[in-house]
Amino acid sequence: MGHLVTSVAPLPLQGGGLGRFIDPFAQFLTDITNLEPVLLQLIAFGLLLGGVYALTALGLTMIFGVMDVINFAHGIFLVVGMYSVWLVSETAGISPFLGIPIAAAVLFALGVVVHILTVEPIIEAPQQNQLIATLGVLFIIQSAIEIVFTPDPQQVELSLGSVQVGDVFIPLGQFYALVIALGTMLAVRAFLNRTDLGRKIRGTADNRDGARYVGINVRRINYLTFGIGAALAGVAGGSIALFQRFDPFTGETYLINAFVIVILGGLGSFPGAFVGGLIVGMIQVFGGYYLPGTTAQVLIFLLFIGTLLVKPEGLFGGAEA
Amino acid sequence: MGKTLKSSTSNRRRFLKATGASVAALTLAGCASDDAGNGGGSGGDSGESGGETGTATGTPEQSVDEVVIGSNHPLSGSLAATGVGMSNAIKLAAMRKNEEGGIESLDGAEVTVIEGDNQGAQELGGQVSEELLSEGADVLTGCYSSPVTTAATQVAERQGVPFVISIAAADNILQGRDFNYVYRPQPPARRLASDYADLVPSVIRDDGGTIDTAGLFYINNSYGQAIRDSLREFLPEQNVEIVEETAIEFGASNANTQVSRLRSADPDTIIATTYVAGGVLLAQALQDQDYRPPYLTASASATFTDDDAVSDIGEFANGVLDNNYALNPTVDKTAEVRSQFLDNYDQEFSASVGMSYTAAEVIIQAVEEAGSVDPDDINEALMGLSYEDHISAMGAIEFDDQGENVNALGPVNQVQDLSVRVVYPEEYAEAEPQV
Repeated sequence: MGHLVTSVAPLPLQGGGLGRFIDPFAQFLTDITNLEPVLLQLIAFGLLLGGVYALTALGLTMIFGVMDVINFAHGIFLVVGMYSVWLVSETAGISPFLGIPIAAAVLFALGVVVHILTVEPIIEAPQQNQLIATLGVLFIIQSAIEIVFTPDPQQVELSLGSVQVGDVFIPLGQFYALVIALGTMLAVRAFLNRTDLGRKIRGTADNRDGARYVGINVRRINYLTFGIGAALAGVAGGSIALFQRFDPFTGETYLINAFVIVILGGLGSFPGAFVGGLIVGMIQVFGGYYLPGTTAQVLIFLLFIGTLLVKPEGLFGGAEA
Repeated sequence: MGKTLKSSTSNRRRFLKATGASVAALTLAGCASDDAGNGGGSGGDSGESGGETGTATGTPEQSVDEVVIGSNHPLSGSLAATGVGMSNAIKLAAMRKNEEGGIESLDGAEVTVIEGDNQGAQELGGQVSEELLSEGADVLTGCYSSPVTTAATQVAERQGVPFVISIAAADNILQGRDFNYVYRPQPPARRLASDYADLVPSVIRDDGGTIDTAGLFYINNSYGQAIRDSLREFLPEQNVEIVEETAIEFGASNANTQVSRLRSADPDTIIATTYVAGGVLLAQALQDQDYRPPYLTASASATFTDDDAVSDIGEFANGVLDNNYALNPTVDKTAEVRSQFLDNYDQEFSASVGMSYTAAEVIIQAVEEAGSVDPDDINEALMGLSYEDHISAMGAIEFDDQGENVNALGPVNQVQDLSVRVVYPEEYAEAEPQV
């Protein structure tokens, strides 16, 4: 039994009337005042979830930041990452952790191919064209996965369990995913700031025409960026496969949240993706705990709409990738 | 009872049939000498001339070559793993009937199944029903998800075509809608929750256990909410107080927060009501937080009646008590059908798949008794049906005036040695409950 059992009063049941929305906030304030240990548990869950969300949003925001392309195929790229890790661990007996870089490589190659075949030819067309093209890619890959692997859910055989720190339980699968998320974000940031190629990508993101004038091969930067964005989805998907069953449609939920996060954080902003991920993760965890039903998801979409209305550029809008 | 739209549709059908028959009669009159050797085979031609292939013409001397069942299930999307199995079960029921010689009362007419994919999306439920009817379905079945079934049955009712629900628990699919053409062999949510309250505390208390408090964990859609509402009503009558309720969203990535809530309330039992994925997330979060109440139970949850899900969860699933529709392990036919299903489709024959199989047999039996594929004749047969030779753990399937099966039952299963077994009531039990 957990330690929290005796220390926290049961939350009010979901009754009717306004009370069901007001009472949870009163309960939340009471718990803060009393420094209830459950708050630490919720913060831990929020960080774990937010970190993974941030990682899922990273590739999406990078592709938009550099190329102004809204990539609807991002969700299915995540799923390809999941299946890649599962496949290498099932068929070749390779550790799922080692499967993650393999997933990244697979997705990089897939991303480049998808870009060359579908996005590059219409890169100068109105933005909705790329949006529809990537949506088409999503459906094609999703159907292909469904045909090859059936819609049955799959899972990586990896029982990592959890560790208990004081009153706080930390599921290790999600913890490793968070560590991978943080490591990947730092690595990408270092790559963009400290390598020649990274600087060219940033330069292209800042000013595509200017980049052409100074001799940057923008076309090459485009497909590299799309490939790197897809590879980030591969890392994210592979990390999620460490702790969650998945099927060809698992990417949908993550894609929706990733869009909310990049809008919230600012399209094209890496710090924005990170902070946006944490905010969404925290709302989902705290809202899920205190609010009735699935009101937390409503809150997230209200925040999404509110951001578009009040600060459409997002929290870190305009920040460099 | 809500018949206005149906009447006009029915009139239209009769008009088409009459026209078809007249055209056929004229055609045949002109070709009488050519058809001399065909005897009573004219019915099939007349059907085609009338533009209603496979539909009875309503005249006694005409025959029907096939009976078409329209299967409206999620064949893609996140419910497809179960939905494909359910649709395959309907095909198996048709195949078995055809191997026995087809519909006897229709001179051996073959049973054909056409499939439509609703993707588990409510907005596609009605559309798929429409498509199946336009492709010639004489009778419909579906849809697994309650919201989808709500939409799909609306179309069937409007068209005046019988719809036998394969699986869908929400009460309001039938109740309060004044339907005449929709039938449900499985127990609806209210009955499942009522059976939970009647049976599960009894199993626990009979063994000396204590179950005074419960925490509900449910999927936040019409099916989950319907079970929740009924448990709220029935559990207090059995002296079980609900001390916590927490919902999970469809497609959620984990159940950590919900388990934190349940752990805080620490009830004697957690009652799960979810599709397969939700229950797996619950089990995972419970293990991650090193928490398990004295009794882990479920009501109408697909997770703990699905051998694959139970296997994925592992040892932690052992001991879970679940009340849900179930396969009847006490009849030989169940093992025979299960074996045949595995041979043909290489899929698990879960309780959900089995319930779908039973729904298909109900349709076939009704057509057999109707001796016709006229929707109204099949409907009349369904209304008066009493079908005992099925493989579900319940009595004879008979429908009341709302289309609910009066003998529907949600017996108690238990996961024992990672296998799902019926343990209560005794007449269907294959193992003793281990509490």
